[in-house]
Amino acid sequence: MAAWLRRRRGLIPYLFLLPGGLWLVVFFVLPMVTMASVALQEGTLGTGFTFTFNIGVFPEVLGRYDEQFLRSLLYALVVTILTMAIGYPMAYTIAFRGGRYKNVLLLLVILPFFTSFIIRTISWKFILADQGFVLGTLKDIGLLDDGFRLLATPVAVISGITYNYLPFVVLPLYVALEKIDPRLVEAATDLYASRLQAFLRVTLPLSISGVFAGSLLAFIPAAGDYINAELLGGTRETTMIGNVVQTLYLTNNDYPQASAISLILMVGLIIGVVIYTRVLRGQELTV
Amino acid sequence: MRDEQRDSSIERAIARAFNGGRYSRRTFLRRAGKGAVVAGSALTLPAILAACGIGPAGSGSPTASGGGLVGGGEPAGTLIFANWPLYIDQDEATGESATLQQFEEETEIAVDYNEAIQDNQEFFGTIQPALAGSQDTGWDMIVPTDWMVGKMISLGYLEAFDVAASVPNFVANAADTYKNPSYDPDNAHSVPWQSGITGIAYNPELTGREITSFADLLDPEFEGRVGMFSEVRDTCSLALLHNGVQPKDAVEADVRAAMDVLREQAPLVRGYYGNEYAQELASGSLALTMAWSGDVFQLQFDNPDLRFVVPEAGGILWVDNMTIPKGAQHPNDALAFMDFVFRPEVAAQITEYVNYICPVPGSQEIIQTHAQEAADGGDQETADYLTSVAESELVFPSEEMLANLHSYKVLTEDEEELWNSLFQEITQG
Repeated sequence: MAAWLRRRRGLIPYLFLLPGGLWLVVFFVLPMVTMASVALQEGTLGTGFTFTFNIGVFPEVLGRYDEQFLRSLLYALVVTILTMAIGYPMAYTIAFRGGRYKNVLLLLVILPFFTSFIIRTISWKFILADQGFVLGTLKDIGLLDDGFRLLATPVAVISGITYNYLPFVVLPLYVALEKIDPRLVEAATDLYASRLQAFLRVTLPLSISGVFAGSLLAFIPAAGDYINAELLGGTRETTMIGNVVQTLYLTNNDYPQASAISLILMVGLIIGVVIYTRVLRGQELTV
Repeated sequence: MRDEQRDSSIERAIARAFNGGRYSRRTFLRRAGKGAVVAGSALTLPAILAACGIGPAGSGSPTASGGGLVGGGEPAGTLIFANWPLYIDQDEATGESATLQQFEEETEIAVDYNEAIQDNQEFFGTIQPALAGSQDTGWDMIVPTDWMVGKMISLGYLEAFDVAASVPNFVANAADTYKNPSYDPDNAHSVPWQSGITGIAYNPELTGREITSFADLLDPEFEGRVGMFSEVRDTCSLALLHNGVQPKDAVEADVRAAMDVLREQAPLVRGYYGNEYAQELASGSLALTMAWSGDVFQLQFDNPDLRFVVPEAGGILWVDNMTIPKGAQHPNDALAFMDFVFRPEVAAQITEYVNYICPVPGSQEIIQTHAQEAADGGDQETADYLTSVAESELVFPSEEMLANLHSYKVLTEDEEELWNSLFQEITQG
């Protein structure tokens, strides 16, 4: 075996890729093919589903649920911007000013992951409840109108998603910022760059890979999120495309439409990511 | 067995915080529609596979058991039972159920009890491929809600039995309301496990007035503080009753008219809920909401002000039923169990724990006796608790209350599609 491998050194990288590749085939490619096949079927639970190559399902769901698609993308965009705005200063501070507390601070960032996603989201319901300790107190001291509420509004949904995905943004940003040699910034200031110029022309461009990874890690799951929308929203005005898929699957048993929506969302996101990658790479070159 | 009712209020508050109430399986997980969030994602694959590999219902040989009745034979000694979570008495310390233990001792039938049903649709999704292929589902007894029973009967998925011969205690002890139901004439396939009411719950402090009818849910005064159910059968049925239509008689025009009422109401509605409504009601975010009786009974332990009413125009009495899926391996054991739980003393034991409506009226007296015994034994807390169970209209509804309750309509596939799509436009846009 060893000798055989030595003779075919070129194969080794492929061997290393094999476990991951198999995993992807079984748990990604196969379901994806099944999903595509289901999307093109027609029928009901009672009569069974038959493959009819019903390509019309795609324009149908796009037309019927355009509002929810757009809302999901809009929410995901706002969430990405918010997580960046909150996460970048956090990661920056930990990377450059964390000192010996770096590891503790990083641990604090990922600490919420030690509790279940659902529990964390449900706790938000308690924090934001109409008569809860935040709004209740503000209402009692007269700062807020009695009818004011946050739950069941887009604000609650977007806040919930932002909170849940913030660590995914902080970690890659931290990794990117941590690698930057502080001497480069010193050199920039020595060459008469102001602190702002040094940040904009040295630190930010060097951390762009973290911005890229972090924004994708926030945007993609946010666009498909349905738990925050259900628990913190739950109204027609906060329905995201993930909620529609869930209802179509579990309540309406309309597997073809649900599969079609999932496919559209996935393909749409892939195209978006490719464009984003190009734009960002172009950016990197011009800086 | 009743220790859990005496938990410190903190523990209860925590449990309620995360589960929206504790002992009730509905409070946890009754989501016919949107599904328990966790389970929702897990279902996707089986659902796809079901969609892929499965032909029409009943396409295989429908005669897995000869097409006749089951029952009349000797029990095999095993019963594989799928039920909802927290839906049978359970000793908190040992986790054992006195009911199951007693059954095993008496009959020498070993019960493999599973809290496997979280949601009607979802559970149906897990057994549908086997049933459509005329194979054993692995379960001997399952507990679907009445409309699902009707659906499964129409698909030929449930075994039929002679209720008089096989479950004599049902005939002798069950309340008349549960006999010969519209979803299963002559109880040929099902006998009730527990039931409950879909009505309206409210917090008088927040509404500032008494709530009596569905029209109160439509009052603009309560904008943003009204809760409705995401389960179309519940929500649409109450709207139908509001319009003066019996759900079981509803034709398409009635359904559309009811949906118009709901569509007009939508801007006032804070959300379309599954179980979470109980938590929102308890936290004061909802002033009034559609509700299930068992949840409200339990919420009242923390907030005695909360009230539950059957709307003037009528409410829904839903029933979860013991049924035997087609091709089950141990039908005689399932029938033996059904007969066993219709003994009033067994029914009382279960009701003392789960607090839903007991199909055996005779159990009320037994619970009162238990309360007396506890009081004599010096355990006033247990005595008070048991008395509150025995005296609650939510556990033992009055004749008057029952007279104003109606059943869900058993929907055909086309109707189901119509109801679902009309309702989805209202709830999700």
